[in-house]
Amino acid sequence: MIIWVTIGLSVTAMGILAVFFTAVLGWANRAFHVPVDPRIEACVEALPGANCGGCGFVGCREYAAAVVCDAEPVDRCVVGGQACAEALAAIMGVDPTPSLPYRPVVHCGAHTADRLLRAPYHGEPTCAAANLVNGVQGCTYGCLGFGDCQRACQFDAIHVIDGLATVDYTRCVGCGACARACPRNIITMAPFKAERILAVACSNKDSGKDVQRVCKVGCIGCKTCQRTCSLFTVKDNLPSIDYDAYCPDDLGDAIRAMEKCPRHRIVVVGKPSAKDLAALGDEALPDVVTPDFKTTVDDTEWRG
Amino acid sequence: MSTPSAGQRFIRGILPENPVYRQMLGLCATLAVTNNLKSAVTMGAAVLFVLVCANLMVSLIRHLLTPHLRIVIFTLTIATFVTVADRLLAAFLYPMSKALGPYIPLIIVNCIIICRCEVCAAKQGPLTAVADALGQSIGFTLALVSLAAVREILGTGMWFGFRVLPAAWPDWVIMVLPPGAFLTFGLLLGLTNWISAQRAGKEEA
Amino acid sequence: MTYLIDILLIALGAALINNFIFYYFVGICPFIGVSRRVEMAFGMGCAVTFVMTIAAAISWTMTRFVLMPGAPLTQWIAGWWLDPQTAAGVDLSILSYIVYIFAIAASVQFVEMYLRRFFPLLYRSFGVFLPLITTNCAILFACLTIMSRLVGVDDPAARWDLGQALVLAIFGGLGFTLAIVIMAGIREELEACDVPTPFRGAPIALIVGGILAMAFMGFTGVDNGLKTALTPPAVVAQAPPTEPPSGAPTP
Repeated sequence: MIIWVTIGLSVTAMGILAVFFTAVLGWANRAFHVPVDPRIEACVEALPGANCGGCGFVGCREYAAAVVCDAEPVDRCVVGGQACAEALAAIMGVDPTPSLPYRPVVHCGAHTADRLLRAPYHGEPTCAAANLVNGVQGCTYGCLGFGDCQRACQFDAIHVIDGLATVDYTRCVGCGACARACPRNIITMAPFKAERILAVACSNKDSGKDVQRVCKVGCIGCKTCQRTCSLFTVKDNLPSIDYDAYCPDDLGDAIRAMEKCPRHRIVVVGKPSAKDLAALGDEALPDVVTPDFKTTVDDTEWRG
Repeated sequence: MSTPSAGQRFIRGILPENPVYRQMLGLCATLAVTNNLKSAVTMGAAVLFVLVCANLMVSLIRHLLTPHLRIVIFTLTIATFVTVADRLLAAFLYPMSKALGPYIPLIIVNCIIICRCEVCAAKQGPLTAVADALGQSIGFTLALVSLAAVREILGTGMWFGFRVLPAAWPDWVIMVLPPGAFLTFGLLLGLTNWISAQRAGKEEA
Repeated sequence: MTYLIDILLIALGAALINNFIFYYFVGICPFIGVSRRVEMAFGMGCAVTFVMTIAAAISWTMTRFVLMPGAPLTQWIAGWWLDPQTAAGVDLSILSYIVYIFAIAASVQFVEMYLRRFFPLLYRSFGVFLPLITTNCAILFACLTIMSRLVGVDDPAARWDLGQALVLAIFGGLGFTLAIVIMAGIREELEACDVPTPFRGAPIALIVGGILAMAFMGFTGVDNGLKTALTPPAVVAQAPPTEPPSGAPTP
């Protein structure tokens, strides 16, 4: 008898419990229902899902929610680019605005041999740590070359080559992780109005004499560029380019300024030009017996 | 990737996919009951019983499972068998059941079992599921025994309660206390990683 | 007064002396897995504390009134068919594990829905951890501890009441949070350290855990010291931590 009562009570207890929790959860599901806009899911589908944070949001889902709920512009996704912006615009029913691809520019042009007064450093091999130590190298503005940007990049698009961070624009998607990682803030995100744009490859704001003491190539603040072209403004011994006024089709004065610069600090950055690719192609050919030094990469304008 | 056969499942569980050293699952039990070999072996046996029964059961009802109720069903199945194991231990090995205390019921939330139900039993037939359960729980028991052997002999100089080291051995009491579990497991895990790295290096060379 | 001291000792015991992670090894999986970033560890800790409190309340109620031998509700219903002497033998405590895990799963689901509706900010900060908690040993362990203080305790006065059960859950959860936050802080620093390759990741985390566990062993005996110090009500003094006992505690 007792065994049957125990079994019966067990079954009843579990049954009541099951019914109770089912009822509570079922009610909660209805009562606490959160309406989720189906467009958010659609936007998440359209986004690349890299969660790189280049849009300024934590991840793709957060950006999708912001697009739907807070009417964020649809062109923020740097990885997906134009195609993604159009897809989002189609979901949201708005006109896609042409988005400028932003790409990082390293404002330093000194390779290991160009940097003077460099001391041996045995600390933690990161830029963030080396930046805190005085006297790792003479130039307190330029690239340290320990590769914080390289480690920050999820797309294998920035590498420290001969002591200088160098962007591989064929791989770069413009998420801006390297710019955030650089402790010296020498990487900025510039609007690439064309495949290749002009940029200033130095960050040193000291006077010409001081720069010459610490760097073989750094900008000496001679203002030649400012006199030649209105795009350049020299402030604190360092020129900057007004990218708002920058027009890739009309660069006559700017090209002249670039040629005139005594330290060659105004450079063209971007994807390798046809000329560069041709040069690389030539280099790769095994049957070229007498290499023409004029056509190697180093001699071209592509110094970025 | 084709689904592994029963034999493969069995072999994999013991060393290549050892639940403790490779998958880092079921660590509560691993750390808590390994202060002597006796409780480690008992724990291993209890997990073997529960895992075999749960895997078999889940494998038999695998066509009835619905995706979002899956985990709840696994957990309740496991809880039932754990209750059975707990009562069996209390009936036949009362001192052991007292010593293991809450760690027998904690088998319910031991990730190894849910993981095996999910990975193997919910997809493959009863025979494979049982072979997998046997392999995994033997692997688990081996890991527990390896840990307990180190801890017990260093902590008390004994194995299974029989003196192995001379009585002059200064018992490293810390080894049978909680910190010893962390330290021993950390060091053994490092050792396993080192050995497998060495073997991988040899194969490449 | 004795009740207050008792509560204090339970709180201290759950949070520090017998810390869930460093003494009982429950909740090791998130300790190794989630404790990489301090914010994540804190979110996980909050979620665990929250669910633990709810699960403790449910399991205490269920155990006290339905599951334990001689529970009033069961006795009353069994009394319909059985004479009082036989009815006293009806014992539903075999159901306890299933009921606990069921209660935990259901309350996790409920909390998730509730937070999502009413506290979206909170949901965003620790909602992602909630599904993981169903299989968190620490919560079931809290339920089992409460059960062990009800089932098999013959003296009715010594049985825990709801307040004691809740204090255990809240402070146990806080101790858990403390442990994983400390660990996350250390692991953030470890990222930059030159650890030998085989020890990267989990092994070094476990060794650090061992050293932390040793530190937490320093609290052993504080409860006894406090008890002796507080029991004569006139004397209120902080007892110095006594030496850890030489014998091995059975975990």
